[in-house]
Amino acid sequence: MPEGILCNKTPVDTVEQLQALLADKSGKQYYEEMKLLDVDTPALWATIQKSLKSRLRTWLEICARCGMCADSCFFYLANDRDPTQVPSYKIQSTLGDMVRRKGKVDNAFMHYAMDTAWSRCTCCNRCGMYCPFGIDMGVMFSYLRGLLFSQGFVPWELKIGSGMHRIYRAQMDVTTDDWVETCGWMCEEYEEDWPGLEFPVDKPNADIIYTVNAREVKHYPEDLAEAAILFHLAGENWTVPSEGWEETSLAMFAGDWVGCKKQVESVYAAMERLKPKRMVVTECGHAYRATVIEGPYWAGLKTGQTPVESFHYVEWVAEALRTGKLKIDPAKRIKEPVTYQDSCNYIRNAGLRECAREIMSYIAEDFREMRPCGEHNFCCGGGGGLNGIGRYREQRNVGLKVKRDQILATGAKLVVSPCHNCWDAIRDLEEIYHIGIRWSFLKPLLLKMVIVPEHLRPEE
Amino acid sequence: MFKKILFATSASPVCDNAAKVAFDLELKWDARLIVFHVLGIPTHGFSPFVTDVRTGEREQVDPDYVDWVKEEMRNTYADLLKDTENVTLEAAVGVPHREILRKARDEDVDMIVMGAHTRPEDIGASRFRNVVGSTMQKVAKGARCPVVIISRPCTTCWKLFSNIVVGIDLSKASGAAFLWAARLAREVDANLHIFHAVDLAGTEVGQIKSQEEIEAHIATVRGKIENLYLPQLKGYEKVTVMVREGVPYVEILKQARERQADLIVMAHHTREIDPEQALLGSTVEQVVLRSACPVASVNRLDKTVDTSA
Amino acid sequence: MYEFVTGPLAWIAFSVFFFGLIWRFVWYIRGLNWQLDRVSYGHHTGYGVKGAARSIVSWLIPYGTHSWRFYSGFTLLVFVFHIGIIITPIFLLGHNLLLEERWGFRLPALPDPVADTLTVAMMIAALFIMLRRIALPEVRILTTFYDIALLLIVVTPFFTGFLAYHQIGDYSFWLIAHILSGEIMLIAVPLTKLSHALLFFLSRAQIGMDYGIKRGGMKSQGLPW
Ligand code: SF4
Ligand code: SF4
Ligand code: SF4
Repeated sequence: MPEGILCNKTPVDTVEQLQALLADKSGKQYYEEMKLLDVDTPALWATIQKSLKSRLRTWLEICARCGMCADSCFFYLANDRDPTQVPSYKIQSTLGDMVRRKGKVDNAFMHYAMDTAWSRCTCCNRCGMYCPFGIDMGVMFSYLRGLLFSQGFVPWELKIGSGMHRIYRAQMDVTTDDWVETCGWMCEEYEEDWPGLEFPVDKPNADIIYTVNAREVKHYPEDLAEAAILFHLAGENWTVPSEGWEETSLAMFAGDWVGCKKQVESVYAAMERLKPKRMVVTECGHAYRATVIEGPYWAGLKTGQTPVESFHYVEWVAEALRTGKLKIDPAKRIKEPVTYQDSCNYIRNAGLRECAREIMSYIAEDFREMRPCGEHNFCCGGGGGLNGIGRYREQRNVGLKVKRDQILATGAKLVVSPCHNCWDAIRDLEEIYHIGIRWSFLKPLLLKMVIVPEHLRPEE
Repeated sequence: MFKKILFATSASPVCDNAAKVAFDLELKWDARLIVFHVLGIPTHGFSPFVTDVRTGEREQVDPDYVDWVKEEMRNTYADLLKDTENVTLEAAVGVPHREILRKARDEDVDMIVMGAHTRPEDIGASRFRNVVGSTMQKVAKGARCPVVIISRPCTTCWKLFSNIVVGIDLSKASGAAFLWAARLAREVDANLHIFHAVDLAGTEVGQIKSQEEIEAHIATVRGKIENLYLPQLKGYEKVTVMVREGVPYVEILKQARERQADLIVMAHHTREIDPEQALLGSTVEQVVLRSACPVASVNRLDKTVDTSA
Repeated sequence: MYEFVTGPLAWIAFSVFFFGLIWRFVWYIRGLNWQLDRVSYGHHTGYGVKGAARSIVSWLIPYGTHSWRFYSGFTLLVFVFHIGIIITPIFLLGHNLLLEERWGFRLPALPDPVADTLTVAMMIAALFIMLRRIALPEVRILTTFYDIALLLIVVTPFFTGFLAYHQIGDYSFWLIAHILSGEIMLIAVPLTKLSHALLFFLSRAQIGMDYGIKRGGMKSQGLPW
C-alpha cells in the first residue's frame, strides 16, 4: 500500500482529515499504516538537491568525527553516554546517509530517521556551540524533519498539530469567536478585583500588541487575565488582535514549512492591520522562536525582522521593572532559594539571557544559577515537540534526568520557567522523579509581589 | 429560583452527597440539571496527554474515552437518574475549575452544586497544586452565580429549609450573599439569621483591643446591619441579627450549630487569602470542611434577584 | 623521478590545491541562501561581521571557548597538531631555500630545533588522536576508514620529511617519498574534508553571522562561545 488513509504524504488541510486523525486513538492505525508507507525516492532526492545548500552540505562533509559534540547533548548524558546518542552520529546516520544514498532509502530507514529526529533530538542547538566547525545538529534535524514530513513520516500528534495550524491558524481548535469571547470572559471575571481592567481587542495603533499560546485560551485563560492585569498595572496601552493572535507553531516542530508560513503570516497581517508600536509574546519559548526568530524567513521578509519590533515576555517584564512601570514590594520578594530555567529558544537562540537575570534580581533574594546556565543551559528535555509525542514518552522521561540533576544541584525548590514547554517538562519531571520542587511562570509570581498603585485598588 | 443547575462532579464518592441534593433540586424545583464532569487536566505546553482527575493516570483523550467516561457517570448515577427527565450528562477535558466556570457561563446557570472536593481527595489539588489549587475555592471565587458546596449528607430537603445563616462582612460581595439568602428564605419561608464576626486577628495586626473597644465596634456593626441590610428585606419578618467577635470561620460554624442551620450562605472573599499559599484555605473552605450543612458561596449580584418577574 | 615529482607533479599539486580551494570558496559563498539558511546575510552587516569575527577568533585561541576548555586534553592535541601542520612546512629552512632558489624570495625560517620539536610534537599528537579515536566509544562510533586514511595522508609528509632531513635510512628514497606524500596531501586538501582548512573559516563565519544577525546577536553582547 503506497499511501495510508491516515498516514500519507498529504498534509492535513480539512476538518474532516483532522477529525479522522483525532479519532484514531494514540495514532494506532496511523502508525500501522506508516509501516507500509512508500518512500517517493525521486521526490525526496529532488527536494534534497533543491534545498540542501552549501552550508548543510559542508557541515555533513567536513565533520571531523571528533566527538566534541558528544557531551553537549543532554540525551547522550541522560542515556549513560550511549555512543549512538552522539549528535554527529545521529545526524550522519540519518540525514548523512540519506544524502550519500541520493535519497534511495526505504521505509525502515525512514522509520529510523523519524525516531531519531523526534525522540533523540529536541533541536535545542546546544551541540552547535561545542563543535569546532559550528556544525549545528539542531538545524540539521530541523531540516531533516522537513524532509520526513514531506514523505509522511511524522509523529501522529505533530501531523495533527500542523493540521491545526493550517485549519485554525492556531495549535488547537480555537476559533476567532472562542478567542474574543475568552478575552471578554476574563475581563468580566477579574474586573471587580482590578477596577478599570480592560481587554482591548483590535485596538489600532496601540503601544503593544499581545500574542499568546492557544493553550492559554483553551485551558488556562487565567494566564491571559494575569497578562492583562500586569499590563493594566503598568499602565500600558495594549491590545490583542482578533485574528493572528497565536504565536506558537507546532508546524515548526513537525517540519511543515508551508504550515509555518501560513501561521506566521496571520500574525504579521495583524501587525500590519493594527499598526502597533511593538509586539509582546507570552511566556512561551518556541512561540517566540517561531514567530520572531524564524518566522520572517518563512514569510520571505528579507531583513529577517518581524513587521513591528517583537519582544518576548521576559523582555517586557525586565523593561517594566527597570523603568518602574511595575514596582516590586521588597517585603514580598522570593525569599527561598530559586532557580531559573533558561529556555533554549529565547536564551540560546535569541540572546535574552540578561533579561532573565535582570528580572530575577528584582524578584528574588536568593537566586541560584543552574550549572551550566544562560546560553549554555541544557534543554529541559521536552523541547522540539517531544513533550507531546506519545510514541516517545519513554525517551523523553529518560532525557529529563539531566534537568533533574541540574535543579537538584542548585538546592532550590522553586523553578521559574517562563516557557510553556519547559514548564511542562519540569512538571513532568517532578511527577516522575519526585524531587520535591515547585515551578512557576513569571506572571503569577509578579502578581503576588507587585505594588498596586493607589488608584487601581478596588474600593472596599 | 433555580431553573438551571450545574452539578459539577468529580464522579467519585466524594460527590455522592452533593449528587443527592442536585438531583433532588431538579425534581422539586423543576429545574434543568446538567451533570458535568471534567475528566482530565491538560498540560501547558504542547501535549495530547491529560491527567485523569480520578485516577491521576496519564491518558490520551479521544471521543471514545469521553464516551466511556460518560457511560461511567451514567452507571454511577443510575439510581438517581431513574426518575428524572430533565438531566443531561456532560464531560469535558480541561482544568476542572476553569471548565466548570466556562460551562456555568455558557449555560447561564442559576446555581452550581458541587462536592467539597477537599484537598486530600482532590487529585487536582494535591498532585497539581500549582495548577489548580483547590477546585472548589476557585469555582467559588470566579462564579457569577451562587455555588453550593455539600460535603455531608443533607437531611433536609431544600423546600423544607427552616434556618438559613448568612455570614456577612459589609463588603459588596457579602451584600450579594445576603440578597440571595433573603430571596431563598422568602421562597421557602425559612428563618434568616444574619451574622457577622468581628475578626480579631484580621483587624489591626498586633494590637490587642480592650473589651470596650470591641463592644463599641460590635454596636456599630449592628447599627450598620440594621440600617443597610434590614430595609432590603421589605418587611420579611423571620430575621435575627447577631454580631460576635472571634475567628470568622469558627464563629460562623458555632452560629450554624446554635441555629440548627440548614444552609450557610457567605461571600467568598477574593483577596482574603492567597489561594496558592494559604495552607488552611479561605474562610469558605474552612467552613465547608467542617460544616454539617451545605454552604453556599455568593459573590456577585447576578442571580440574587428575581429577574423573571 | 625527482625531476618529475618536483616538476610537473608539483605544478599539478599546487594548482589543484589553490584552484580547488578557490572553487570551494566560490561554491560555498554562492550556495549561501538567506531564506533556506534563514539568515539575512545581506542586512545588518555590522552584526554579521561582528558575529563572524567573534566566532572565528574565539575558536582560534587555544582554550578560547567553553568547548576547548571542556575537552582540555584533546584541545592540547588539536592545537599542537594543527600548529605543527601549518607552521612547520611554511617556515622550514629547507623549504624556504627551495623557494628562494625557484622564485627568488623566502620567508623567515624556523631554527632547526624548533622545527624538529614541532614536527615530533605534531606526530605524537597525531598518534594520540588516533588512539583516542579507538579508545573512546563516542569517537570510535564516528570513525570511518576515511578518517584514518586522512590522518595518514597528513602525517606521512612530516614523518618522511623528518627521516629524510635527519638522513635516517635511504635519503633519496625518503626525500622522494616526502615530496610525493606532500603533494598527495596538497591535492587531498580541496578534494577531501581536509578542505576544512578553508571551510573552517567559512563555516565558522556563517554560524557566527547566524548568531550575530538572527539568533540573539542584536539583543545581547554576542554568544559566549
Ligand atoms: S564536534 Fe563537530 S566536527 Fe566533531 S564530531 Fe561533532 S559535529 Fe563533527
Ligand atoms: S540539538 Fe540538542 S538535542 Fe539535538 S543533538 Fe544537538 S544537543 Fe542533542
Ligand atoms: S522546551 Fe524549553 S528547554 Fe526544551 S528545547 Fe524548548 S525552550 Fe529549550
